[in-house]
Amino acid sequence: MTRLRSMRSARLRTTEVETAPVGDLDFDLEESVATDQPWLVIVWNDPINLMSFVTFVFQKLFGYSKEKATKLMMDVHLKGRAVVASGTRERAELDVYRLHEHGLWATMEQSG
Amino acid sequence: MMVFAGPFKRRRDGRYAVRLDPKVRTVLASVAEQLGPMIDTEDDATARLFPPAYLGEERAVEETGYRSLVDEALRNHHHRSLGVLIDTASADVLTAEELGAWLSSIGAMRLVLGTRLDVSEDMDPPAAGDPTEAEFAVYSLLSAVQAAIIDVLASELPDEGAPERAL
Repeated sequence: MTRLRSMRSARLRTTEVETAPVGDLDFDLEESVATDQPWLVIVWNDPINLMSFVTFVFQKLFGYSKEKATKLMMDVHLKGRAVVASGTRERAELDVYRLHEHGLWATMEQSG
Repeated sequence: MMVFAGPFKRRRDGRYAVRLDPKVRTVLASVAEQLGPMIDTEDDATARLFPPAYLGEERAVEETGYRSLVDEALRNHHHRSLGVLIDTASADVLTAEELGAWLSSIGAMRLVLGTRLDVSEDMDPPAAGDPTEAEFAVYSLLSAVQAAIIDVLASELPDEGAPERAL
């Protein structure tokens, strides 16, 4: 379920997401017409990064609760990958960059 | 009862006390000094520091765009972090920013070393006399220091989460 906001620029909020795409999204009408589907930010498992570090990064970058960040980290660890955020392409790229800066392996793909 | 204090401890003034063996500090600075020049080469081991954002041939154009946007920024970020670690390796007190740089640079060092060693998730350390023994020992040391930094920084984050930071 989505909610339409005003036509003025969206401040994209990434809300907590499950591993199945997508949580609640706010996006502006123009953006949604232009690009249709939101972009998903995916983090992949790797054998090097510490589990405690991955959890910490999720809390720090996305403001997730410790519980949510831990769950996402375990999804990455056990399932090989997890969707950690979603939004516009620009927002997803920024999130991917911040994750790369922290040494995590993140990619982005358009949902749907 | 005495509680054993970790190597990093937040002080009242918001800075962090560092208690590390001088030999450990020497190893940290030395690995950082070796990694610096490698960041600018296109090396298999450092490639892990510049992973793709887009997968698949159909997104090759987007990936090229992403790389042109971020690679220089990522290199600069790593150079800065490594530089801070080298400059403060002997420090007894670190600012929050410096500790963040330690976390970042040690993380990068682990990624490069771990890639070179081809570590897997539950691997045993190499046998005595194995040529990778020394490198693996360094890797383990980096892991321990990084874990200690995460311990102290993670304890400062609110369990219930926080609104996303403004960028």
